[in-house]
Amino acid sequence: MNITEAFQENVIIVSLDGRFDANTSDAVEQFLRVRISESKFQFVLDMANVPYISSAGLRVILAVVKELRRDNKGDLRIANLQKTVAKVFEISGLNNVLGIFKNPDSAIQSFTD
Amino acid sequence: MKKTLEFPADTASLSKIGDLIVEACRSVGFNEEEIGDIQLSVDEACTNTIIHGLGQDPDRNFRLDILSETGEIEIVIYERGSPFDTLEVKQPNSDAPLEERSVGGLGIYFIMNLMDEVEYRTDDEGTKIFRMLKRKRQDEVRTK
Repeated sequence: MNITEAFQENVIIVSLDGRFDANTSDAVEQFLRVRISESKFQFVLDMANVPYISSAGLRVILAVVKELRRDNKGDLRIANLQKTVAKVFEISGLNNVLGIFKNPDSAIQSFTD
Repeated sequence: MKKTLEFPADTASLSKIGDLIVEACRSVGFNEEEIGDIQLSVDEACTNTIIHGLGQDPDRNFRLDILSETGEIEIVIYERGSPFDTLEVKQPNSDAPLEERSVGGLGIYFIMNLMDEVEYRTDDEGTKIFRMLKRKRQDEVRTK
């Protein structure tokens, strides 16, 4: 799993490249938690290059979103889901509590709406 | 065609297992959505074996059989580890607010929903056997 980041205003766009499974989920969680500890609270997770997610990946997303929304600190919004990955969000039922966007631009825009 | 493989109880094995499953599913002729379903189910079952059954001890191994036949694939995991309660299947509550959501038990829920047959048993020697099977939808078999 390769993790890169870009900054736009107060939003950090975190791009993942690779499988988001039990082997890589700790690295993603660690990366996000370091940024949260630096008082960064607005994230867009660009998953264009994630061909696969398991419940281990969903667990990290859910934990981080819960942490960010506590006291309305911020949020993590998701963009660019591949079709098979989008299906996993749907079966889990998490798609209706998470902010899922077609592309990073609309996800970034949603923070200012 | 049957493949029997051994993997260490290390989550680094998951990616290789995923590749093997996709390859076997393609040889059967499953469509991309079905391949995604099977890959997810096998990954969740192997993750449980690696983390809960064998305690992520890379010196311990588990066995994976992949049987691909006309119109179906069967995957069997054999491990000598801690008991694994397959009855803990929780239906995700899609109406619950975020704070009440949990991912615990979601892996098993995926497997039960996405595979056609799921069986779990312990044999006389104490080996835990987790078997899953998925069939191609009938209309696809006919048009092949």
